[in-house]
Amino acid sequence: MFEGLSFEPAELPLKAEALRSEVREFIELQLPEGYERNSDFNEGHSPSFSSALGEKGWIGMTWPKKYGGAERTFFERYVVTEELLAAGAPVSAHWIADRQSGPLMLKYGTEAQRMKYLPGIVRGESYFSIGMSEPDSGSDLASVRTRATEVGGGWVVNGTKLWSTDAHRNQYMIALVRSEPPGQNRHAGLSQVLVDLKGEGVSVRPIVNIAGDEDFNEVVFTDYFVSSDEVIGEPGNGWDQVTSELGYERSGPERFLSAFRVFVEFVRLAGPQSDPAAVDLIGRLASHIITLRQMSISVAAMLQDGKNPATEAALVKSLGNDFEKQLPELVRLVMPRLESTHPLRLALEKTLLHAPSFTIRGGTREILRGVIARGLGLR
Amino acid sequence: MQNLILETTEKLFSKHCTSTVRDEAEVGAFPEALWNAFQDAGLHLLGTAESGTSIQDAYALMRLAGRYGVPLPIPEILISNYCVGEAGITTVAEGAEAPWGRVADRVLFPNGDLVTSFSIQKGTNIAGEPRDTVIYSSSKLVELPSDFDAMMALGRTVSMSGAMERILELTLQYASERNQFGRALSKFQAIQHNLAVLAGETAASQRGADAAIESIDTPWFRIQVGSAKARVGEAAGTIAEIAHQIHGAMGFTHEHELHQFTRRLWAWREEHGNESVWRAELGRRILEVGADQVWAFLTRSL
Repeated sequence: MFEGLSFEPAELPLKAEALRSEVREFIELQLPEGYERNSDFNEGHSPSFSSALGEKGWIGMTWPKKYGGAERTFFERYVVTEELLAAGAPVSAHWIADRQSGPLMLKYGTEAQRMKYLPGIVRGESYFSIGMSEPDSGSDLASVRTRATEVGGGWVVNGTKLWSTDAHRNQYMIALVRSEPPGQNRHAGLSQVLVDLKGEGVSVRPIVNIAGDEDFNEVVFTDYFVSSDEVIGEPGNGWDQVTSELGYERSGPERFLSAFRVFVEFVRLAGPQSDPAAVDLIGRLASHIITLRQMSISVAAMLQDGKNPATEAALVKSLGNDFEKQLPELVRLVMPRLESTHPLRLALEKTLLHAPSFTIRGGTREILRGVIARGLGLR
Repeated sequence: MQNLILETTEKLFSKHCTSTVRDEAEVGAFPEALWNAFQDAGLHLLGTAESGTSIQDAYALMRLAGRYGVPLPIPEILISNYCVGEAGITTVAEGAEAPWGRVADRVLFPNGDLVTSFSIQKGTNIAGEPRDTVIYSSSKLVELPSDFDAMMALGRTVSMSGAMERILELTLQYASERNQFGRALSKFQAIQHNLAVLAGETAASQRGADAAIESIDTPWFRIQVGSAKARVGEAAGTIAEIAHQIHGAMGFTHEHELHQFTRRLWAWREEHGNESVWRAELGRRILEVGADQVWAFLTRSL
């Protein structure tokens, strides 16, 4: 269509499709008794499920074998991921480590860091939080003020990170810190460091969200010491690393499936004798899911080919987030008034309460539209 | 092979299918030079077995025709030649309405009626494209593929996706050339965000249409086409709205060519099943498979 904006034809290869039934069987076998399914990757924390998944080789599954990975393709990982989300399985414990922290270490980490951290991630035992936002820095990430000051053998970190999901129960965080005072180039002088969340000088305070959950946290560093071995990549190269980290996973199935269980329960309630409005809505939502999925698979194929489809990925995330946010709004208008314990009402209300985050996490809608505009040559 | 054909076709369209040719066609002039060049290049046979090309190639050409707003019944000609063989201009009726019935040698009806002797009452769609009512008393019955209606719907879908690409181009160009308040429109954040939405809807339509083409000869063809026609039809309204808003009063004039593409979107989204029609079919299929299989259905792994 345009240079920098093209969705090439792509289908999941048969070898990847072959995994599908195995994943489905695994999920049904492993789901905890009475588990309330939820397709939001941020919901559902289950270390036992994560470690069972790790045992199957389905975490870090594209990584080199020497780090415990399975050297599978991006397509195979795509199938596993979308099956987990569609089934509403609990994936949040290992999610960030698998999708963001691990790939970051593979790209920029030292061999020692990879050997130290990746095998635990692959086993579904080591969980990571993101340390990007701060009280005064959200979308404007380059304005972070958490300071790392060089001392003998390492750095001393002071400052506050915010919205760090699961920092109260994860072992590690990768934090973006300012290692040099801000100068002319505000993207310079940033670094990424590995933090032991149980370490001395780190205090974690859960923040209750509008759904009443304790998911995200404030993390305060008071003279926290990081050894030089725990700096990821080059000191000062943090900006490039962090933007590439954000780019990795913008367009996966988690960007349009968050509300999928609402759709499933709506289909269940509607049944074959549905009124025309319900049939129409089911067809409409399906047409969006089918299309978004094909766009998302196309981006996965470009990643598999070693390309950098940054604009396409931002576009899939933006369209997908708007869709998953709109889904409960459309469903509520054609469903009957249901009692408070009905599975559809429960799923819908839970999704409504989390939906404000869909177009914020991992890059707001407004930031993404800016990325797309840049891809169109407007900036 | 397909790239070569498309390159040739694009050269031909850019030479013979100008804004003026589209305007003249709208007031009744058959684009003789364009049609002759098209035929001379053998493009009217694209997709047929004897041409050594595939129906996928034909659909790729239909997208290009949409991009150029070609004032000829290209999908009708290519799909009918593929299904019943070539003999002059064969158009395909929807109901009693045949695109360019006035110049057709034959009219093919989706029920299999092939008509050579007929009279017409002239009519047009919202884009000013001829949509003539066909009156006939005798016909020959021919056998058509069972998903013939979906084949036609895919023709409109890919045409729309082509027109959308052109609309995006026109809008990006206009936004970068038009200055207000001392800077180009494209430098305003509000405009950039609307352009991002326009690009997103265009890309989704392109991918949806492509995926439907890729599903030809699979059991999922009808589902993919229905999904694509519904999704692209939904995008059509959004795209036309944003493009006109950014073009301001200029895009509301007959002189500017934007309307030659936005009016086609408004016409084509209705033809061969609008969003409601295809959503209803898709929705009913999903309700038949049921909630526990809906994911398998969507991933074509039932």
